[in-house]
Amino acid sequence: MIIQFILILLILIFVFRLFLKFKNRETDKKDFFLWLLIWILAIAVIAYPQGTVLIANKVGIGRGSDLIVYVSIIAIFFLLFRLLLRIEKMEKQITKIVRKDALKGKGDE
Amino acid sequence: MKTLVLIPAKNEEKKIGTVVSQVKSENFEVLVVDDGSTDSTAQTAEANGATVLIHAVNRGQGASLKTGIDWALEKDYDHVVFFDADGQMRADEIKNLLEPLMLDKYEVALGSRFLGRTENMPFSRLITLKLALLFTRLTTGLKLTDVHNGFQAWSREALGKISLNQDRQAYASEVLSEIAKKKLKFTEIPVTITYTPYSKKKGQKLWNAFHILWDLTIKR
Repeated sequence: MIIQFILILLILIFVFRLFLKFKNRETDKKDFFLWLLIWILAIAVIAYPQGTVLIANKVGIGRGSDLIVYVSIIAIFFLLFRLLLRIEKMEKQITKIVRKDALKGKGDE
Repeated sequence: MKTLVLIPAKNEEKKIGTVVSQVKSENFEVLVVDDGSTDSTAQTAEANGATVLIHAVNRGQGASLKTGIDWALEKDYDHVVFFDADGQMRADEIKNLLEPLMLDKYEVALGSRFLGRTENMPFSRLITLKLALLFTRLTTGLKLTDVHNGFQAWSREALGKISLNQDRQAYASEVLSEIAKKKLKFTEIPVTITYTPYSKKKGQKLWNAFHILWDLTIKR
């Protein structure tokens, strides 16, 4: 099917970019392998959609595509949560820096 | 006894001059923490005799107070009074809040607009405050007549005990839960808060209550 071809092509572009980023050290090892694993799984699922039906039936879900949607939503929530935590941490760090800068110079008047 | 009046301010060039000079005329030292203002707040405050610390970018009222507290503790002030920059509070009432601290009976004095005279409070503000009162009662067990009143006086020892991590408006709730957690001796003192068209425009919107609730629950 054409859709399979398009999706896999898109993912290969993502993977290529991922490799580039890793080579330029813009991403750390942990993130690199996490994303690589996600994209490899995505290719596998797109190339052999029949495979997901087997797993889906094992866990009590009728269609393979339903399983993919469920898993994707969980993955998205997980990533969102990680992102929120990271932003929160950055906010705290910015405040720390801004405070340090504000107090600097006024310390010994 | 060294007392510092701490005023966090963001874009308050219209009011900060008057507010600083009113507090100065009561013979208090003033520290203004300019929270990333884009106007002449810092210059106006300094010209009127305040010490000014500048946040390079906006970090919120909670973060500004914390910066001021750190400075006050470093400078060995005995008491710190939190005061607003928008002219809602009255400088001549500062000494009322300091009195219970001077007598060494209490570590914290919280201003209460429901014990005092409050002028022109918008109805939506009243509802939000009553809900916040209930929230505080449920989460901290503190029985107060007013919450989220920025007019407070703290002893040095009490400030050293609390830890403030909320950068934005949720700090007001955090302060109260810290009072409860650290079992600080506190009292409420009547204060006059005047709601002017200016302060209403600059003040809290009802909508903000949801942001605060989010900060206090989800983000913790």
